[in-house]
Amino acid sequence: MKLPFSLDPFLVILVAVVGGASLLPVRGAAAEWTGIAADLGIVLLFFLHGAKLSREAIMSGIAKLRLHGLVFGSTYVLFPLIGLAMGWALAGHIDALLLSGLLFLTLLPSTVQSSIAFTAIAGGDVAAAVCSASISNMLGIFITPLLVGLFMNLGGGGEVSTLEAAKSIAMQLLLPFVVGHLMRPLIGGFVARHKTLVQRVDRGSILLVVYSAFSAAVVNGLWTRVGALDLALLLLLSAVVLAIVMGVNVLVARLAGLAREDAIVLLFCGSKKSLASGVPMAGALFPAAQVGMIVLPLMIFHQLQLFVCAVLANRYKKAMEEAALPGGATDAVPVENAITLPRNEADIAARAAALDMVVPEACMPGLIANMTLLERHARTLLEPQADPAT
Amino acid sequence: MRHALEIAAAVRSGRLSALGVVEQCLADLAHEAPPLVAVTRILSERARVEAAEVDAMLAAGRDPGPLAGVPYGVKDLFAVAGLPNDAGSTLYAAAPPETRDAEAIARLRGAGAVLVATLNMDEFAYGFATINARHGTTRNPHDLERLAGGSSGGSAAVVAAGLLPFSLGSDTNGSIRVPASLTGLYGLKPGHGDLPMGGVFPFAESFDDIGPFALTAADMACIWQVLSGRAAVDHGAPLRVARLGGRFTQNVDPDLTAALDEIAPGAPTIELPDIARARSAAFVITAYEGGHLHKDALARDPLAFDPATRDRLFAGALLPDALYERAQAFRAAFKEKVRGLTADFDILLAPATPCVAPLVADPRIKIDGALSPARADLGIHSQPISFTGLPALAVPLRRPGKLPLGVQLIGRPHGEAALFRFAAMLETRGLAGVSAPAAGLGGLRSKKGAFRGEMTS
Repeated sequence: MKLPFSLDPFLVILVAVVGGASLLPVRGAAAEWTGIAADLGIVLLFFLHGAKLSREAIMSGIAKLRLHGLVFGSTYVLFPLIGLAMGWALAGHIDALLLSGLLFLTLLPSTVQSSIAFTAIAGGDVAAAVCSASISNMLGIFITPLLVGLFMNLGGGGEVSTLEAAKSIAMQLLLPFVVGHLMRPLIGGFVARHKTLVQRVDRGSILLVVYSAFSAAVVNGLWTRVGALDLALLLLLSAVVLAIVMGVNVLVARLAGLAREDAIVLLFCGSKKSLASGVPMAGALFPAAQVGMIVLPLMIFHQLQLFVCAVLANRYKKAMEEAALPGGATDAVPVENAITLPRNEADIAARAAALDMVVPEACMPGLIANMTLLERHARTLLEPQADPAT
Repeated sequence: MRHALEIAAAVRSGRLSALGVVEQCLADLAHEAPPLVAVTRILSERARVEAAEVDAMLAAGRDPGPLAGVPYGVKDLFAVAGLPNDAGSTLYAAAPPETRDAEAIARLRGAGAVLVATLNMDEFAYGFATINARHGTTRNPHDLERLAGGSSGGSAAVVAAGLLPFSLGSDTNGSIRVPASLTGLYGLKPGHGDLPMGGVFPFAESFDDIGPFALTAADMACIWQVLSGRAAVDHGAPLRVARLGGRFTQNVDPDLTAALDEIAPGAPTIELPDIARARSAAFVITAYEGGHLHKDALARDPLAFDPATRDRLFAGALLPDALYERAQAFRAAFKEKVRGLTADFDILLAPATPCVAPLVADPRIKIDGALSPARADLGIHSQPISFTGLPALAVPLRRPGKLPLGVQLIGRPHGEAALFRFAAMLETRGLAGVSAPAAGLGGLRSKKGAFRGEMTS
């Protein structure tokens, strides 16, 4: 049987690199050189982020301001609140650095590539997803360090001052990003044409940061501090965070009366955290010895979100195919004030149950098609029209 | 066999016996009806008893009535004593037999007509196609590869094939006028509630009516008088005719437009307001009432329904009450408005269907440039008229050798007599009338040569 998801191959390499750093951590002078290379890797990464950012793509999906507001709220308000609440509730029960890592992941921007890919699979509004994820990623360069400064005890032991953090943000994240984006007219075409090469540079930089960070962490006794139980706990906490965020986003979409294609964007863009941004940001923001511990929760969360979103996106896709309608069935949208017609499987089943009826599986596709037709007539009936006779 | 009034005249004068007519009719049905998939039950014994009664009355010197010895059939939703009234469904096929005939059948029997068959329909009358999972798809006698229309398709097909001189159907949103147009017959949707509904399986009570299919305007007038119990009183004043514009001029076969030009050259055009909304409101009311009528059965055993109607009825059962109330409120206002606008006219002209009969293999028609299911959209021009409750008579254009098309004559409230007179005038002018199925179109042709339903006098 084919699984509805697959292990992210990049994550496998990432785990291998963590394993390598654990067995053969780079030490001494070599560690210094690796650290410098990792810093350069971060610069290169953000340079490429800047070069890849397309203003046209953002503008083509910008119209749905309310939707982008909701995605932004999920990424930078809802997630951090959950992170802070967990930090408060679990302080003293779990390793402080891992807890910091958990909070850090909640402060990160959304992913771009996987958010768009899952939105496309599920039949959501891809243009809006591109816009929302890109904005989130771009703003993250400013907002994430700001939130980190506000909510996290930067440097832990006071080794890194806020001023130094601000300097490294400016030098490693912001400057390369802006330069990359300004050079887009020159190198944008190259970046677009050589996606595979760019991706390899991207990922190579991340692996370098991870290797450097975990080497430092292992030398500082990472695996004596973190055991299998901690990893299991991190997985559980990641699941809790993801479940809360997704649940709230589904609820908000319904309360806000979002169309199906927009609800999908909110679900997938609003529930993601970017490994590609998070690892280099941690590298720039935290002391080398702490980065490994800080990014560990992010790595676990990253795989979990890919798995859950793959399953969900395929379910949405299946429901859409079953509806057998161009564009697919959409969530219930009020036709007028109090008049709402059930249009998706869940709403139809709920409405039938309220009337003491059970919808057999064989009826559902035809029922969705007929409800869609009836909704069209309901709209024609209720929408005010010009009356040619008066 | 000839048209209804000819048969009645021959029987009453003693030139033919009612039993002889019925025996011939039963033999023809047995031999020639099967390719049409139009007949669901042949009521031989009952027909012979009724025919014998007519002959006995004549022998006793009494008048059996204006339809003496005229055989006819009814759509599968009229109660027939001794048989279950299943409305074309498997669901009620084993229902207890009816204890008495539907009121319309009783009135026809009182006028000497002889019931010989029950006829195919879309299950529960929900469709314009007569595609029935239990009995099959009714074929058009003019081309067996084409639909006869629906939901009273069986009633139309047997009359158009010349196997019966008239039949009864029911019309909720066009279920008489659509098949009448596609098979080239006269088909009447009476003023709402004018003809007796007792013993008729309901569908959507806001619009349900029964009515006849007939071969001539005179037959239609006679059958209507028997069913309504009223005389078709017409004072002979000049008829004021108008054409319906707007939505009724879109999605129309060019032949129909040309025919309307010829029927009423120079007639003013009336634009009815909000026709699209009216059709949508009719759609909503029909779905809601149909769904609620069958709600308990759907809750009990949904899979016993014909899949084609089941999901439509189920969807209707789930509609919010508030939407239905809004549709009814719109209907009340719309009826008032339409009556005000049309008060100065006796006849309004409109197409009966957008096009000729679609193919059975591809039951779709073009509406606003896109293909849509014939089952749902053949009634695009009839549904808004049902919404007004006004009487409407589908009249076949006289076009031998071509696939049939019909126009609607829409009358004032209780204005049926004017409709019959105008239809008779169109017959006299050679513009309207029943045409024989043409051999070249792949239709059903009588083995005995001349089309027996054709006017012969």
